[in-house]
Amino acid sequence: MPIEPSAGSGAAAEARQAGPRSARDEVGSWWRSGRWLGALAVALVWLGWYLVSAFALVPEMLLPGPGEVLAALVDIVRNGYRETTLWENGAATLWRCGAGFVLACITGVPLGLAMGYSAKVRAACNYIVQFMRPLPPLSYLILLILWLGTGDASKIALLYLTAFPIVASSAMAGVGATKLQRVQAARSLGAGEWQIFRHVVFPSALPLIFTGARIALAAAFSTVVAAELMAATDGLGWMVFSASRFLRNDVIIVGILVLGLLGMALGKLLLTIDRRIVHWRGVD
Amino acid sequence: MTAPFESSGQEDAALLSGGTTVGRLWRWLGDFRITLASLGILLLLWCALTQSGLVNELFLPGPALLWDGVLDLIENGYRSRTIWEHAGLSLERVLAGFGTGALAGTLLGLAMGASRPIEAFFSPLVEFFRPLPQLAYLVLLVVWFGIEETAQIILLFLTALPVSAIAARDGVRSVSLQRLQVARSLGASQWQVFRYVVFPSALHEIFTGARLAIGVVYATLIAAEIIAGSTGLGWMILDAGRFLRSDYVFAGIIAIGLAGLLLDRLLLVIERRIVHWAGKD
Repeated sequence: MPIEPSAGSGAAAEARQAGPRSARDEVGSWWRSGRWLGALAVALVWLGWYLVSAFALVPEMLLPGPGEVLAALVDIVRNGYRETTLWENGAATLWRCGAGFVLACITGVPLGLAMGYSAKVRAACNYIVQFMRPLPPLSYLILLILWLGTGDASKIALLYLTAFPIVASSAMAGVGATKLQRVQAARSLGAGEWQIFRHVVFPSALPLIFTGARIALAAAFSTVVAAELMAATDGLGWMVFSASRFLRNDVIIVGILVLGLLGMALGKLLLTIDRRIVHWRGVD
Repeated sequence: MTAPFESSGQEDAALLSGGTTVGRLWRWLGDFRITLASLGILLLLWCALTQSGLVNELFLPGPALLWDGVLDLIENGYRSRTIWEHAGLSLERVLAGFGTGALAGTLLGLAMGASRPIEAFFSPLVEFFRPLPQLAYLVLLVVWFGIEETAQIILLFLTALPVSAIAARDGVRSVSLQRLQVARSLGASQWQVFRYVVFPSALHEIFTGARLAIGVVYATLIAAEIIAGSTGLGWMILDAGRFLRSDYVFAGIIAIGLAGLLLDRLLLVIERRIVHWAGKD
């Protein structure tokens, strides 16, 4: 279960800024900020789950208790699920997701920047991007499987096509968000086209590019699990799907918890990189 | 690269606003010509690939085959249901799941925005559910509720709820402090402040969240129909794919794209109608 995802981020940042503080102060501010209520919510959900299973209100077949799920987790970590370990499945999911996402960033950001820069490039490419963007990715997975087979290629292509329009649109919007005054100021100070791009347009576009990348990664992560449910022989999505066929609901719940935590971790990771690189976000 | 910020983008639309209508029309057509040319190249490529036999029509239908497929679907439907019935079933599920999920999420988000303790209590649950791939719990819902409508609508409810909740919470947070203080100092009660200041300010973000949510809900539904369904547009393309009827698959993708566009436009029209004050600060 998630343990207070937001805990510490705000309070710890305050503490760092205010210099060293005693543990008692930390606990005090944690208590006053009301963040303990979040821990309480998680505890209540856990308790409710425990009580439902302890009094057998629901057949154990349908909802295994916390104990069984924990046992299943230990078992999967130690022995694996149907000859694949949890790490292998997690790595397979992350590899597909990461490969599609990185390819989409490498190609989508330059195309989006070019579309934002030049009306001609925009006229040539934008309608394709805007047509792809709202299209549910799973609808063309079937075509990709017909074309590329059921291996990793079709899934990586799917995730690429999921992330690409989001990244490209946000890069285009980022160039559009550049303040004209700044470009004019740079130009009147004698900056060349490349210098204007490098020092004015690109930094202005970067916050939106990162926002787009975060949305794209979240979309790719959702899509990779869906794709693994449909056609795969490993990955966390496959594990959950396979478990559902054998009515191993304990394994399904382990899978859901792992996927939720992994999704939160990916979001946090990109947010941290964003804060580190785009430190000028919102400083205007 | 053409000189940016001089001859491109919306910026020069402003610069050109003094020019003649004919000049602007010409410029607009000039860009549109490139779009047409690029579209033409794509179509030519498609025709060349399919007509020359380089690509098997089983994998990529040619224009004629696709057109026949579209007409066939419209006239005869797919597997004893017309394409309108399939689309109708899909849209019905989207609206049922989105309607309930967005309503519950917005109420929760408003409460979370208004009260710190409520936010602290619910935020771990919302933050956990938001990045969780929806399809992961579809499997559990199918085991619990069967493959029928119930599981799909609960799935869509759970998909829409965190997205709407976060949008509504952020909307409440973004209320300008000045307006709150003005309303309070004029003697408005808590409820009046909420009704006349907070809620109208938050409404724009609530709608933005709703459009985001309906997009995610729609994508999730198509995925759910593909993985565990027996009707609807998503199921239709999966079933057609099994029989290598790529003309039906293509026609289905086009139908899915159009239906998604329709949903988004619908919300946009409602938003423009209701939140007419958006962006006029």
